[in-house]
Amino acid sequence: MTALQHVTVTVNGITYERSVDPRLSLVDFLRHELHLTGTHVGCEHGVCGACTIIKDGMAVRSCLLLAVQSDGTNLQTVEGLRNAETGELHPIQQAFIDEHGLQCGFCTPGFLMSTLELLADNPSPTDQEIKDALDGNLCRCTGYQSIIKSVRLAAAKTSGGKLAGTHGSA
Amino acid sequence: MTSTIPKLPQDMPVTSPRYVGKEVKRIEDPGLVTGRTEFIDNLKLPGMAHAAILRTPHPHARIIRVDASAAEQLPGVVAVLTGEDIKRWCNVGATSPEGWGSTPMAVEKVRFVGEPVAAVAAISRYVAEDALELIEVEYELLEAVTNPEEAQAPNAPKLFEHNASNVILDRNYTWGDVDRVFAEADHVYTEKFRWNRVGANPMETSGCVCQWDVVNNSLTCYGSYQTPGFIALGRAASLNLPSNRVKVVAHPHGGSFGGKGGPRGTDIAALLSRKADGKPVKYIEDRVEYLLAGAGQSWDRYYQASLAVKADGTLVGLKVNLVDDQGAGAEGYGTISAAKPLAAFTGCYTIEAAQYDLKLVATNRAPTYPYRGYGPPPHNFVLESMVDIAARDLGMDAAQIRRMNYIAPDQFPYTIPSGNEYDSGRYEVVLDKVIAMANYREMRELQVKARTEGRLLGIGIVNTVEPGVFDWNAYSTVGVPGVGVPEGVKVSIDILGQITVTVGFALEGQGQYTLAAQLVADYFGVEMESVRVTYASTDIAPPHFGHGGSRLGVAISGAIMGACNKIEEKFRLVSAALMQCEPEQIELMDGHLRVKGMPGAEMHIAQVAGTMLGRSDLLPPGMEPCPEASFVWTAPDRNEPDEQGRCKSYLTAANACHIAMVEVDRDTGVTDVLKYFIVDDCGTRLNPATVEGQIQGGVAQGVGAVLYEEYVYAADGQPLVSLFSDYLLPGIHEVPMTEKGALETPSPVTPLGAKGCGEGAIHTTPATIMCAINDAIHPLGIQITETPASPNRLWQLLQEVR
Repeated sequence: MTALQHVTVTVNGITYERSVDPRLSLVDFLRHELHLTGTHVGCEHGVCGACTIIKDGMAVRSCLLLAVQSDGTNLQTVEGLRNAETGELHPIQQAFIDEHGLQCGFCTPGFLMSTLELLADNPSPTDQEIKDALDGNLCRCTGYQSIIKSVRLAAAKTSGGKLAGTHGSA
Repeated sequence: MTSTIPKLPQDMPVTSPRYVGKEVKRIEDPGLVTGRTEFIDNLKLPGMAHAAILRTPHPHARIIRVDASAAEQLPGVVAVLTGEDIKRWCNVGATSPEGWGSTPMAVEKVRFVGEPVAAVAAISRYVAEDALELIEVEYELLEAVTNPEEAQAPNAPKLFEHNASNVILDRNYTWGDVDRVFAEADHVYTEKFRWNRVGANPMETSGCVCQWDVVNNSLTCYGSYQTPGFIALGRAASLNLPSNRVKVVAHPHGGSFGGKGGPRGTDIAALLSRKADGKPVKYIEDRVEYLLAGAGQSWDRYYQASLAVKADGTLVGLKVNLVDDQGAGAEGYGTISAAKPLAAFTGCYTIEAAQYDLKLVATNRAPTYPYRGYGPPPHNFVLESMVDIAARDLGMDAAQIRRMNYIAPDQFPYTIPSGNEYDSGRYEVVLDKVIAMANYREMRELQVKARTEGRLLGIGIVNTVEPGVFDWNAYSTVGVPGVGVPEGVKVSIDILGQITVTVGFALEGQGQYTLAAQLVADYFGVEMESVRVTYASTDIAPPHFGHGGSRLGVAISGAIMGACNKIEEKFRLVSAALMQCEPEQIELMDGHLRVKGMPGAEMHIAQVAGTMLGRSDLLPPGMEPCPEASFVWTAPDRNEPDEQGRCKSYLTAANACHIAMVEVDRDTGVTDVLKYFIVDDCGTRLNPATVEGQIQGGVAQGVGAVLYEEYVYAADGQPLVSLFSDYLLPGIHEVPMTEKGALETPSPVTPLGAKGCGEGAIHTTPATIMCAINDAIHPLGIQITETPASPNRLWQLLQEVR
């Protein structure tokens, strides 16, 4: 077995230091080492987008990265969206509830994180821009229509003001 | 006084329902949007090992030798399972017709690529996969049969040597005077169709954690199970345990659509746990495993259909010949999905006689399993395409030929030739509504204009009946006996008046926990948020089946209404004693037990429950201090099928009409769905937002099946699909954003008038888009009769008329 490597990574504002097997995927690291199980694994080959997280401000597939590649980075996952102090949901989370933007909810954390990136870059996206931003996320339940509505609502609730990042993030 | 299950929402004991029939937010969602819901891969048990499965690369081969000794020696490995263990401990699965089942792992030979041949449990999945590489398997390759034609050839290699051939089932159903009807018809249209394999592909693959109690010889399986009780029974049968020694704990799961029922992974994890002296073993199927050999492939069908029509367009007879490639045996209930069309064989029409020739054949492809819709999506593609073929030949409009053949509202209850009884419907009203919504006439004008410009614009207008509330009797003739599908719940009110509903199924996505809360809240006049819905594992849950067959919404409505009704009866007795009147004078309304005609003489249900549990001295003599009730519902009035499979099977008949406008690119063969309209009548909509979600989700899967998705196999039996880059699920750009309308014709035979509504759109969408494509291309003298109508397939057709 290859020697373990040291990783220092900040996730949702908390810094973790761990020694990991170099071949450990980032999503397995998040889920099984850090116990952040909200990020889901749908295909492990970068197509479905269920494992989408934000790495240094950009949406990435955590199944296509190794844990060691996250060394020194700042990550945001679905667990960071809700404000743990007030218990308040992030406007994007609330919008998905209000517009029935989920059914089984397995792909939802990935959609939420892709939406977070979209609205941070573009607070008032058109439907076409929403579709382009979410084209890398697959949902087998909803047929996407309610997801588009959810993103529209989230944008409407947050436009005009800067969209809140994940709780605890820099 | 005995009250009955309310036939409509307004019959509930509430002045006006606050939740039932309203677009309420789902109680499932806060846990899901925060990533807190416990999907199976989140579960960790102390000492848990992780399993990986070695799968064969050959479609058909004899196993000469399996050497796992090196794997056993790898540090971190806790158990290795091979065919020898299976032979010792395991039975052939009980889910198939006699002689066509398999063990969870191959013992003497492999029959499809991806069939398990060995498995390892280790301290991590990574180490378990390392160990797989150390296992040596020696095979003697056998000739494979990869389609029904090869499989039925004289001297074809047999998949199951103990059987006479590769034909699993060959039977004919004849309903009515088919010969006369066809002889007297003015036109008989005949066409062949091919529906290629598609499948469920929920975003979460299947997974489990199994723990064998080696001291007490019992088994607990936690997992992403759609039908927990059924899985428990199956494990008892396959693993040689008494049925009360298997406990299944279903976890919330990331979709299923029928395609998550494969028990092989659970059996393998269970036996690894047994071999590891009772350590819990987790097995999470990965996507490659799912695509190759998971319970995710369905409907590999070859059709020939004939439609008998009068000169005026009256449809009188239908013959369908189906050869269904079941893959390597019948372990996955593929047989059932070939039989389900009996429940709505002739669709919306008054076709008087019909015939179904059904042949199920085994090949060296992966075994087929259920998928949402369960058979009618291909059947409706065939039926509705035939109607369009007739309309074109007769020079009739596609809407007009349908309209003139509808079952009329006053003909219900209507028994179709294949025996099922439709409860109700207003097909013409649905048609008119969607025609108005789509502005159908203007669409046709657009089409005329487009054609003059050389563009291939087409319109599909298709209607279907969605059989809802499945019953086992629908499948008796293909080897699954039984009448009735019990679904039970328990409703409990605690000493402080808080209400809990206990169900036997886990979250799957359709919002049934929300529905349970809506129903109970309205029945007892409390806030929905105060009702807790909780899951009970198979050892303690009331009899249940769970999700499947567009049934659960109606079934739990019946079960919950029944349980609430029983509590109401108890409360009537207690409150009558407390308020010193006769039980007949008491009525439940808005959460209070009231003395009729005496304003102010009332008790809240919390008071009654509190008294029952805290003041036995005040109870009527003999009254059990139990403010709770269980009720198990099954559809009323179902019967055993006759020799032609005819019976009252699916309880409800929902109806929908879809109109799609598509444009086919003549140069590339790409189909663009330009507009899509739906009117759906599934009776009372208990939560309209949920119903709309079911419809739109079904459209997405229908679009996938008809335009993109296909499990492709090479001529040698090798699957060519193992990734999502090969199996093309529709994304946000591919699924049309539909305009939807609703009609509500309440079912006269169900609780609250609701009809099954989970599958209607996937029944209808493939046919609608296929009919639209053919409407677009028929002026060129071509038609497409094979799914999916992928760019490649259409381009080749278009090249022929270049």
